[in-house]
Amino acid sequence: MDITRRKFLELSAKMAAMMGLGTTAIPKIAEALEQLSAVNAPVLWLQGQSCSGCSVSLLNSEEPGPAQILSGYISLLFHSTISASTGDVSMQVLNRSIDHGGYLLVVEGSVPEGMPEACVVGGELFTEQVLRAAKNAKAIIAVGTCAAFGGIPAAENNPTGAMSVPDFLKKNGVSKPLILLPGCPAHPDWIVGTLVHLLKFGIPQLDKKGRPKMFFSRLIHDQCPRFADYERENFAKTFSEDGCLFMLGCLGPVTHADCTLRLWNSGTNSCIKAGAPCIGCTSENFAASASFPFYRKATLSKKTGA
Amino acid sequence: MSITVNIDPLTRIEGHLAIRIEVESNRVVNAFSSGEMFRGFEAILKGRDPLDAQQITQRICGVCPISHGTASILAQEIAYGVIPPKNGRLLRNLILGANFIQSHILHFYHLAALDFVDIAAITKYKGKDPVLRDLKAWVQSELSSNVIYPATPFLPRYSGEYIQSTELNIQGIKHYLDALDMRRLAHKMCAVFGGKLPHATTLLPGGVTEKVTARKIASLKSIIKELQAFIDNSYLSDVAEVALDFPEYFRIGKGCGNFLAYGVFPESADNSKKLFSSGVVIGEKLMAFDSTKITEDVRHSLFSSRSGLQPSEGQTVPSPHKKGAYSWIKAPRYNATVMEVGPLARIMVDYLKGKNRKVKDLVNGLLARLGKKPEDLVSTLGRHAARAIESKIVADKCAEWVEQLTPGQPVFRDFTIPETGRGMGLTEAPRGALGHWLEIRDYKISHYQCVVPTTWNCSPRDDRGNPGPVEQALTGTPIVDIKNPIEATRVVRSFDPCIACAVH
Repeated sequence: MDITRRKFLELSAKMAAMMGLGTTAIPKIAEALEQLSAVNAPVLWLQGQSCSGCSVSLLNSEEPGPAQILSGYISLLFHSTISASTGDVSMQVLNRSIDHGGYLLVVEGSVPEGMPEACVVGGELFTEQVLRAAKNAKAIIAVGTCAAFGGIPAAENNPTGAMSVPDFLKKNGVSKPLILLPGCPAHPDWIVGTLVHLLKFGIPQLDKKGRPKMFFSRLIHDQCPRFADYERENFAKTFSEDGCLFMLGCLGPVTHADCTLRLWNSGTNSCIKAGAPCIGCTSENFAASASFPFYRKATLSKKTGA
Repeated sequence: MSITVNIDPLTRIEGHLAIRIEVESNRVVNAFSSGEMFRGFEAILKGRDPLDAQQITQRICGVCPISHGTASILAQEIAYGVIPPKNGRLLRNLILGANFIQSHILHFYHLAALDFVDIAAITKYKGKDPVLRDLKAWVQSELSSNVIYPATPFLPRYSGEYIQSTELNIQGIKHYLDALDMRRLAHKMCAVFGGKLPHATTLLPGGVTEKVTARKIASLKSIIKELQAFIDNSYLSDVAEVALDFPEYFRIGKGCGNFLAYGVFPESADNSKKLFSSGVVIGEKLMAFDSTKITEDVRHSLFSSRSGLQPSEGQTVPSPHKKGAYSWIKAPRYNATVMEVGPLARIMVDYLKGKNRKVKDLVNGLLARLGKKPEDLVSTLGRHAARAIESKIVADKCAEWVEQLTPGQPVFRDFTIPETGRGMGLTEAPRGALGHWLEIRDYKISHYQCVVPTTWNCSPRDDRGNPGPVEQALTGTPIVDIKNPIEATRVVRSFDPCIACAVH
């Protein structure tokens, strides 16, 4: 495949995947976005055991950028990192918004089910706050791997009994339409694309785990720029070498996401494109087991008796 | 009698911070800083492959992952006995430098500025900028609608004294929007060699996985130019405008006045020469830094592990119901002394050392423009000024580093992981001095401790009862209206707290 043709296919796939529809639907979506601007959908964004990385990732959104999203698409009732309100004023906004209901709830970070004191917001245990907010929500998006699957805070040896949002809600008998957007962090397109789809067209098609198929239906490996190297068994033996990164520990063959086609940071790069093995950050078992390393380097060092 | 005021949650910072102040005759007489979220990274790292550390620890913080990755890599490189090739060192500086710029712009415009700029002034906009006109139309339609809280997340907010001039407010709002593009661009700059941001996967002990090409060099050069223009033409002058409008903040929020910097951006293979140097300032006296003087107290922190340990022996055993403890943040001290870290600490160390010509010139230039003296820097506004000056120095230096890259030359040097080993990785995050301490046994991590910038700055009282830097900076702050303690939030935000980092 020559470069021009590959670029063209990448671009087509990107557009189709972003919209979750065929390319013929693009003018219709643009029109729908215009109409949305008249009435912004209320969104409440809560942070549990998070690093704010998914929020920072959302700020990297382009076309629409964050200012356009905030003024044109959603009405962001509260977000701890962005809101002008602070202290009591924040809690009033949060509490009245929850009482009023009818918002879309976004949760970033895991829930410290085993040690509720490990996350407190405005004097309230996050475990209680997230339940309170979930009960009055129209739908919930668990953004990032921590919220979707537990992530690093829920990894082996964790001291807080951290849990994913779906597991925590299930355990507490709260049932709501729920969308999982894993990724460490989640790609801004996954967040914006899901929000827009949800607000205008309803819940996008989800896979068995609750992830939008338009972003997570395919394996990284199947869309890998180094796939030809894999086919030819041309494997990189150490970091920064050309070739397939499988022998270094690349988890592309078991990871569902579209990073290598969509690319990160305004279409600049992706892990594998930049020579870094995929560490499976969108996976259910990302970093879960202490004995399953990201790289195979230590195993190699041990074998060679260094 | 004093009145207790809770600022909880203290927003527009990273993470979960609660501030409690005691106010007497409209002045803060006592302050308590509480980190409210714990994950337990040090326990999670135990028993893992050492190479996992630079990926796991980046997830401590989505704002400064590169600094954690760097600290972890430096600790591992000592343990493995590997040093990166020249290209590798330069690429790391460029990735880290770009993230400093990203973080500083985000902090000033999107976190701190809304304490000074009156965002409601957009309704008075009469110009033709389409973006500002859109924003005005949106705010007006929100204000005339029947939603409970119009124009969230920009309203409601504390009432108080904001900038009066409509022209300045509009300029502030315009630059808030421009800064959204600039910080995204700085992240793009990180991703050219970092793969993706937040959480870059190309960083490894021994160097970087992404190769240098002429095309990528050209890409970086063009991005750096844009960032330099924004810092020179907007950031530095906006900080000066705020300083001219709120000169009292050169006296408010002074804090402990002691500063600690580990130094960052190596300019030689052995790490001995750095763009910003290491040093300790206690009572205006500059001293050499000695890592063995760092200990962490936990008497007032929610941990049952032993207090006063050095990080190489440190423990992190949670005790959520511990009596007398009020924070998940430990209390690190240097030679039992309370220390402030951050851009101001780095600038103070180099200013007092006097060898960094650029630091000296930029600080003196800004002080002259504002009619202030060097001692005024130790303040709320001094922290903002130091951050802006540092952004300029880093951006200008990035323009030099990118010229030193050589396509085709190695970016990575291979290593083997030893059965046992130790390492200490000292670097700087945008928010200040950052250290990771690592021990390896049987090819696995047997010990890991992180002492993070906001651990220093937002620390609770230590074992001797000495309040942390933010707690000390709050004391004496005038509070006009206890229902709207905006003055206290300005002081706290000047430290750019990151609680996910501080507790980890």
